Amino acid sequence: MSAPAVQADTYQGHYAGSVSRFLAYAIDLTVSTAVFSLALAAISYGVHIVTGHSVSWNRSNIVVAVIFVVWQFFYFGYSWAVSGRTFGMALLGIRVVRADGSGLDPRRAVVRALVFPLSFLLCGLGFLGILVQREHRALHDLIAGAAVIYSWDARAARLRFLARQAELATSDSPPPGSAARGASH
Amino acid sequence: MNPRDRLRSAGRRWTDPAEALAQQVTERVVDLIVNALDINELAARVDLNALLNRVDIDAVLKKVDVNALLDRMDVNVMLDRVDVNAVVERMDVQAVVDRVDLNPLLDRVDVNDLVKRIDMDALVQKTDLGAVMARSSGGMASEALDAVRSQAVGLDQFVDRWVRRLFRRKHPGPSAPSALLSPPAAILSPPAAILPAHAEP
Repeated sequence: MSAPAVQADTYQGHYAGSVSRFLAYAIDLTVSTAVFSLALAAISYGVHIVTGHSVSWNRSNIVVAVIFVVWQFFYFGYSWAVSGRTFGMALLGIRVVRADGSGLDPRRAVVRALVFPLSFLLCGLGFLGILVQREHRALHDLIAGAAVIYSWDARAARLRFLARQAELATSDSPPPGSAARGASH
Repeated sequence: MNPRDRLRSAGRRWTDPAEALAQQVTERVVDLIVNALDINELAARVDLNALLNRVDIDAVLKKVDVNALLDRMDVNVMLDRVDVNAVVERMDVQAVVDRVDLNPLLDRVDVNDLVKRIDMDALVQKTDLGAVMARSSGGMASEALDAVRSQAVGLDQFVDRWVRRLFRRKHPGPSAPSALLSPPAAILSPPAAILPAHAEP
């Protein structure tokens, strides 16, 4: 495994870039959709056990669509309000904070979750801010007065990598005196 | 002329040569005595303790101008003649250390600056600290997570560089929110409420 790309600086607290944020969102979307599908399957199974009728969920069903949107809002809004990060953001080592860097309050978290769909409008132009804005803030970040930063300490990761390499080198090298004993046999 | 004056001038004719002769005789006698004396034997007979007991040392010291004395001394020459190793060997270093108040000393030390000077890479690679960290850092999952995050940060920077070139920006924007930029130490040790990095899975 190659050494971590970031070496000298910790990057902790710096504005997170587009790739980290996109990967975190992709993970969140996958996880939230999977959990939603599992929940629907569990409900179908429960209904089938209780009533004996099988329930099939149609994707075009407006009720399912509304529940899915509410679930998405809950998944993102609750995660941001409680810890400032979703599951995907935790994996990628990023978190949402207020624009000045202090911790995100629940009100801003809810606002950010509510206006998050706005960034999808006009072919996702709202997300363009992550690429071109100097502070990498999307439309929903600007409206909610929030920013996304790295909460992951790259410097600590490099030290962990070096520690593992040193541990491997120590375990691979023969113990002192074994070479001399081998030569004598 | 006064008859007394005549007597005086006659007396002077006799007394002046007699006085000069007496002076010469005295000097000669003193020379002979000094040459005849054995100074060492004389010194051996002197009871120095009794002599010193009669001397008022405080009064003598009060008359000494120590500053003038020190001005005339060449301290470097004196130090050259001092065997520092011998002095140190005779010192009770433990007693000296016990008397030192370390707290004011430590208050003056900039520990953050000190830590910045440490080559952590070398420290981790060459000491047992690395082994301790390796055993406590969560194994393969942690290693994979570090690698994914590192690659993502690398790609973030790559994209950011291209965007800056595209928009011909000479100066990059602020690297972090203001609360995390000032003071600089905030980035090194962020408030736990904001950035609990080590609490992550």
